[in-house]
Amino acid sequence: MNAAPRPSGSPSLGDAIGATWTTFWFTPVGAWPLAAVRIGGGLLALALWAGYARDLETWFGASGMIPPGLLAAWRSPYGVSVFDFLPSSPLLWIAYLAGGLVLACVTVGALTPVTTVLGALAFASLLHRGPMLAGPADDVVAVILWCLAIGRSGDALSIDGGARSRLGRPSPAPSVRSRIALGLLRIHAAVIAGAAALAQLKGDVWWNGTAAWWLAARADSGLVDLTGLFLRSEYLLNVVTHAIVLFEALFAAGMWIPAVRRPLAIAGLVAWPLIGIVGGEPFWGLALAVLSLGCLPDAVESSA
Amino acid sequence: MVGRRNRPPAGMSMPVNTPPPPVSETRRAAVTVALAAYLAGLALCVAGNTSSGGSAVVRTVKAKLFSPWMAPLWLDLGYDTLLTHGRAEDGDHRLEIRRLDALGAAGPVVLPARSLGGERAARWRRLARAVAEGEADPDREALLPAAVGAGAFAPWSTRDVSVRVMRHLPPDRADVLTGVADAAGRDDEAYAARVRLVAGEVQLIKSTPREELAPLVQEPTP
Repeated sequence: MNAAPRPSGSPSLGDAIGATWTTFWFTPVGAWPLAAVRIGGGLLALALWAGYARDLETWFGASGMIPPGLLAAWRSPYGVSVFDFLPSSPLLWIAYLAGGLVLACVTVGALTPVTTVLGALAFASLLHRGPMLAGPADDVVAVILWCLAIGRSGDALSIDGGARSRLGRPSPAPSVRSRIALGLLRIHAAVIAGAAALAQLKGDVWWNGTAAWWLAARADSGLVDLTGLFLRSEYLLNVVTHAIVLFEALFAAGMWIPAVRRPLAIAGLVAWPLIGIVGGEPFWGLALAVLSLGCLPDAVESSA
Repeated sequence: MVGRRNRPPAGMSMPVNTPPPPVSETRRAAVTVALAAYLAGLALCVAGNTSSGGSAVVRTVKAKLFSPWMAPLWLDLGYDTLLTHGRAEDGDHRLEIRRLDALGAAGPVVLPARSLGGERAARWRRLARAVAEGEADPDREALLPAAVGAGAFAPWSTRDVSVRVMRHLPPDRADVLTGVADAAGRDDEAYAARVRLVAGEVQLIKSTPREELAPLVQEPTP
């Protein structure tokens, strides 16, 4: 039996996939969306980096609580950190302050082709020095920093851009590299939201609607005390619990549905920080809000 | 490149950016291969780093092909942020370190202190949890508590400390409503050990919870 011939001119499935792939990854995009992600991600990276300052020597010093010899049991055999080789206090501090300076340069957009790469390397290096100290916010910020290193994140809202204007150089053309970076940010936003939803749904408390209680009743990590509200209303407790998972699942799927991507990305700017506050992981919520910023479809498509 | 020498004189319009040159087929193919490799690695990392544990085939392929270049970049991750499953292990953990000499009567140092907040406190809580959870892993057992205890020797000028991990157990909502439990919850000892320096060697003596000790049985008197 002969297969029906394909009408001439209609694209094959392979052609359609190829065209979609090419459009998604190789349509040049303007500088502003990634610049906004750079500022948000840079500020978050700086805040997380600064969180080590007071305990740097207590953890990583010559007689600190986390000696390099211990790390083989905690990190991948391929994990490596420049801080492993800095046992003396002055060298440790010099490396730490240099890393902070690089991340500050990323945030303000100074020498971005170099500082974004160095910033991502420094951030990963610090996390590898104490993997048991790293949290979910660190994971998301590391991804954001690598995406900034891939794209041309210093083309706008930056010292680099200001210097270019003063020198009379033309404003940069839309960039494929920035498009690739934004594409990767969107993929990671969907993957991280989906992985969180799946991880939560493995626990009974996310099905029976009481997870928000267990989050609120924690002693120290909660930022706002919602136990009183949840004691008064079981329905409210259930709604908050289910809303968290529902939003994560919708966000993961909605990033690929053009009709809902924009409202979901805008909602993410508010919803992710709120989920972070309820969940006791405010920086994780903020990091996902920064990822949402990179997913705003109009910013991406219209500037292409 | 337009250098300072080529800057347009005042009054002239700024140069207009030109559309970017199209990406060549060769470069596009190379980027496509790199992206496909990364996305495959991302999928395997997510599948292989879940709290449920990855399958042998996923673990092996990931370890051989992707971990060598993704792990150093801190990209070999599962992203499975569960927030809570309502288990005791999900409660807040804290370290209590006490010196076991005459000056130890002042009480333990609590890390993080109750007054401490933000990401700094969260990192101390993660360290405390790692101390407690390391006991269930034969490759990690005793390593971290010994290091944490030894880390207190120099700043306190002592050679003998106790390391304790306390975890907060939130109460069940129903128990609070019926008055069975207090809304503040209760603390539970997740791990305890004595760490001391003897002849230049760090020794760890783990404390056994009272419920795990055999009861003292007295011989019945005839």
